[in-house]
Amino acid sequence: MLLLVVFATGVAAEEVENPYSSAIDVRMGQRQFQSKCTSCHGVDATGGEEADGPDLTTGSFRHSTTDAGLFRVIRDGIEGTSMRGLRRAKDQEIWQLVTYLRTLSGAVDPASLPGSMGAGRVAFERLDCGRCHMVQGRGGRLGPDLSRVGDRRGPEELAEALTEPSAEVAPRWWTVRVTRADGTVVEGLRMGEDTFNLRIMDGEERLLSFAKTSLRSVERILESTMPTEPLSGEERDDLVAYLASLRGDDS
Amino acid sequence: MRGLGWGGMILPLVVAQASPGQEPAADGMPVLSPVTWERLLNSDDEPHNWLMYHGALDGQRFSRLDQINRENVGRLELKWAHQIRQLDRNQTTPLVVDGVMFITESPSNVTAVDAATGRAYWRYEHPLPDGIRLCCGRNNRGVAILGETLYMSTNDAHLVAIDARSGSLLWDTEVADHTKGYSKTAAPLVVGDTVVTGIAGGEFGIRGFIDGYDAATGERRWRTYTVPGPGEPGNETWAGDSWRTGGAPTWLTGVYDPELDLIYWGAGNPAPDWNGDVRLGDNLYSSSVLALDRETGKIVWHFQFTPHDVWDWDAIQVPVLADVELNGELRKAMLWANRNAFYYLLDRGSGQFLFGEPFALQTWANGLDEDGRPILRENVFPTTEGTRVAPIAGGATNWWSPAYSPRTGFLYVNSFDAEGIYYQRDDEYEEGSIFLGGGHRMPLAADHYKSAIRAIEATTGEIRWEFPITPRTRSGVLATAGGLVWSASVDGYFFALDEETGEPLWRMSLGAAPHASPMSYAVGGEQRIVVAMGNVVFVFGLAEE
Ligand code: HEC
Ligand code: HEC
Repeated sequence: MLLLVVFATGVAAEEVENPYSSAIDVRMGQRQFQSKCTSCHGVDATGGEEADGPDLTTGSFRHSTTDAGLFRVIRDGIEGTSMRGLRRAKDQEIWQLVTYLRTLSGAVDPASLPGSMGAGRVAFERLDCGRCHMVQGRGGRLGPDLSRVGDRRGPEELAEALTEPSAEVAPRWWTVRVTRADGTVVEGLRMGEDTFNLRIMDGEERLLSFAKTSLRSVERILESTMPTEPLSGEERDDLVAYLASLRGDDS
Repeated sequence: MRGLGWGGMILPLVVAQASPGQEPAADGMPVLSPVTWERLLNSDDEPHNWLMYHGALDGQRFSRLDQINRENVGRLELKWAHQIRQLDRNQTTPLVVDGVMFITESPSNVTAVDAATGRAYWRYEHPLPDGIRLCCGRNNRGVAILGETLYMSTNDAHLVAIDARSGSLLWDTEVADHTKGYSKTAAPLVVGDTVVTGIAGGEFGIRGFIDGYDAATGERRWRTYTVPGPGEPGNETWAGDSWRTGGAPTWLTGVYDPELDLIYWGAGNPAPDWNGDVRLGDNLYSSSVLALDRETGKIVWHFQFTPHDVWDWDAIQVPVLADVELNGELRKAMLWANRNAFYYLLDRGSGQFLFGEPFALQTWANGLDEDGRPILRENVFPTTEGTRVAPIAGGATNWWSPAYSPRTGFLYVNSFDAEGIYYQRDDEYEEGSIFLGGGHRMPLAADHYKSAIRAIEATTGEIRWEFPITPRTRSGVLATAGGLVWSASVDGYFFALDEETGEPLWRMSLGAAPHASPMSYAVGGEQRIVVAMGNVVFVFGLAEE
């Protein structure tokens, strides 16, 4: 019951550990999530289509970095938004939800993976992945920033990103081929498209904006621009271990 | 000053001001005067006012103002904006009565502002208890008015009456117990001296109903359940005791036909949403439209769009009433573009199905039979592994108002061609808790699919034009006598289209998604166009030449 006192006074809540983190708690948390949260956050917690709840599977939360903070978000809600608190729920139920949310990101301890982080870092440089990807503020802009990719993606997803990059490309990374009225063509990554306008980043990383009515045609290419030269099994494992270690810190 | 015309005629300004029961003030500006039932019946005669949620009793969301038209719409500019204090979804359709605008705000508040300047007269804040059960946000779509009293739904499932001049609370009636999952979000409908109103909570296994309240006292006159109890016709369409938690909520505003003296109201999905095995049968009157007797609320006829709905396709759309010529015969019709992707034409006197055609991508039915019942395809029910079906659970369209223009005979509908994956699951019903029996997701990002404003020819179901939208729209539509169709898209644009061709004639990026339907009014002889986007109500008018 010490816990409750700590919360009530708001002292050192950051230090409180989640007391319900067993496998059973994960299942209980999931059940609760299915019945109370999916209407806004979606059945797989990746974000709601109709109700605007954000993706909760990215491994990082805007409103808190700690379990105790997540507990508070779920209990109290987020003022001024449709995220309301579970004020009537038992503490145990809220902790179980936190436990469940923590399992969603797929983040693992990179040391437990078959590849070598150090060799992966070397391969990353040798293969010039930084031409398109930033890590900790260094690198190119023609692919997603990988500084926190280890939080966001599990090892299987990382391996798939390397071996089958075109399997599922987010709309932000589609390529669009724009043909202007005079017949000249520009190609770039689709940074934003709306009913009337299109914004891209071309190969020189320039930001370009077009009024759709001024264009002859716009073609969408749903393939990834990631190079597809085959990696050896070892290279792939090393890269996965390195990528899994990227958690937004300098280590 | 500019002349203000309607119905295609240009009339001198003085006519626009001389609406029934209303003396202009010395400076020519209107003065709030009682909105009698006569005025509501004849709202076409005062197009400068927007007297109810749909604009008129027929649900057409058509404004007879034509000062803003296809030629001059390029001169549109922002006149003023109203910032809503509470951040949430902003679903308001304001009313305008004699120069005063009533704007509902989330969760259950309402503000009266000067319709010329946007400056406030008063604000009413409804106190809400903790622990309200809402599936989809703290929404508050609008008020109704009769005399000098506003009627508003509140999230804790109350109906309140508020004085239109001062914002004082006149009465407060509990419609249902919010701790059991009931809530209220829609504008009520005034019919005679009765306030007719529905209920939300279909995702909580409630038992839906439509109520009529005495406008003067707030006392209930009648209640009609949308899930019939034992001994009532229709109860046999629910296996076992499943009717008790049958859902079929009524969370949008209905319409009224004065000649037939019938109220029409849509009913939502049965509960639990995606597990139909625990409620075998057609599940009347879920996903149906009901025609009710004005005085008693008794069901006169019903038509079920999606029998035994296992996809969450609420028939929560606006019943649009129009008299149309079908095969050389004038029909009192009801036009309905349903969440299930079919457009229906019904005879609104008898409920007879006249025809139905898909208006958006659908993969669940091989058309409709001669009674309008869907001919189901194989393997379209949700499963534990997931079943892929179009449209999505959110529907080919949703509650956002369509607009009907008597000038073109087109029903303008926002539509979405996408498929969802539907999951079935066993859920225990627990009072006051979400009761879904499964889940739903879209396999791909919205950008992969097609969204559009479509012009459906009312008498044939043919799509006469479409205006594609990227990535999609969640806005209602307004048609105006200036030949314009107004809508908005989640990318934050508000735009005006040509009613005949769909060509975009004007647009402005307002930077946030809409969750509401536009409306129009006039003040001081000048037409205004209103849209709620983000947390703001924007008011547009023509710039000086
Ligand atoms: C009515 C819709 C709704 C429901 C139901 C809902 N949420 Fe949310 N949730 C939101 C919205 C909207 C936000 C984003 C608020 C913001 O920051 O703008 C959010 C944010 C969050 C966040 C913070 C995310 C971050 O990046 O910090 C967490 C954690 C969360 N929700 C968990 C839950 C859990 C657990 C449940 C079920 C008990 C739940 N939510 C139910 C709408 C909802
Ligand atoms: C020509 C530019 C380019 C190069 C070079 C490149 N990538 Fe990518 N990468 C992309 C783009 C674009 C995406 C996003 C589209 C997709 O999902 O494939 C991406 C996606 C990824 C992702 C998934 C990121 C996420 O958030 O899911 C990973 C991991 C990744 N790249 C790693 C690498 C590695 C390791 C290399 C070097 C072997 C590399 N990339 C080289 C362009 C590039």
